[in-house]
Amino acid sequence: MGMYHLQQRVQDMRFLSSILVSALLLILAGFAVADDGATPAGKVYGEGVSAPDTVLVSDLLATPDAYIGKTVRVQGLAVGVCEHRGCWINIAGDQEGETVRVKVKDGVIVFPVEILGDMVVAEGVWTANELSMEQTKQVCAAQARDEGKEFDEGEVTSCMTLYQISGTGAVVASH
Amino acid sequence: MATFRKWCRTFHRELGFLAVGLTLVYAISGIAVNHAHHWDANYARTREEFTIEPPGTGPTAEIEPVVMERLAVTGPVKNTWRASETEFKVFLEGGGYDVDLATGQVVRHGFAKRPVLFDLNFMHLNSGKAPWTGIADVYGGMLIVMALTGIFLVRGRRGLKGRGGMMMVLGFLLPIVYAVISRG
Repeated sequence: MGMYHLQQRVQDMRFLSSILVSALLLILAGFAVADDGATPAGKVYGEGVSAPDTVLVSDLLATPDAYIGKTVRVQGLAVGVCEHRGCWINIAGDQEGETVRVKVKDGVIVFPVEILGDMVVAEGVWTANELSMEQTKQVCAAQARDEGKEFDEGEVTSCMTLYQISGTGAVVASH
Repeated sequence: MATFRKWCRTFHRELGFLAVGLTLVYAISGIAVNHAHHWDANYARTREEFTIEPPGTGPTAEIEPVVMERLAVTGPVKNTWRASETEFKVFLEGGGYDVDLATGQVVRHGFAKRPVLFDLNFMHLNSGKAPWTGIADVYGGMLIVMALTGIFLVRGRRGLKGRGGMMMVLGFLLPIVYAVISRG
């Protein structure tokens, strides 16, 4: 092997080593950022939760307009999850059959289907969206499809207001 | 120019080897999630329907043990939830049951992570955020460097001034034409 080739190989090895070391440092730096330990025990999604008090889902649903624009923290069983993008979860309320939806930005937080049946604490801004008649029908059709029920457009006679939490974070206590 | 071309070749070669694994991650997952409306790229799902003797629509405390007994669940139960007067859900690891308390109709749902593909999608969609954000950014930068250095690797008729140049123009035109058409 000639001296030139040997030098070239040494240069290549140095080049490769510097790239690998940089990549390793990036990974370590990333983990340091990810593990901030500022939220309650459990798997943290997004920004976690920081609001001091938990609002009962039954209170939210009883007087929804009173909470619009406020940051709320709810707690309950995860009873539904977006199967396509993991972009929402339904949390069961303190009253039987009641649920509240926590919608997160696509790709920002991804809820896995495994959290179904786990206890979730979630936080975000309580929002109200006034739907048009067409949007109301679409929402009702989607709900019927999710629940495996038949949908009749004629049954929709008035526009609905969709209340949900625009989620910023959650903590899931798995079993 | 010869030194510049030599540097291009070095960068392109070394980064190219480094990028093989990451490119396969993004390419394979890209095809998988590109067809998300056709299939679930992350989970293999199962659905089974059967009927049990109707447990009735009494109080949840009374109904729950009856449902569990009639379902004959063997594995650990994560939780149960009464969704409505007639709907009762049982959550298990990797699935669960939807029970119609009035009719006794049961739907058993199951899901399991697709081996390898789940992890590829997890990286591609950056579901874990940091530290993958940094790695993905570096990978993006590597692709840019490889694309730009690749332009100068070949000289002559097969290079930038010949067939290579035409291929490059085609590569630019494809997304531009699509963007114009898709905007209507």
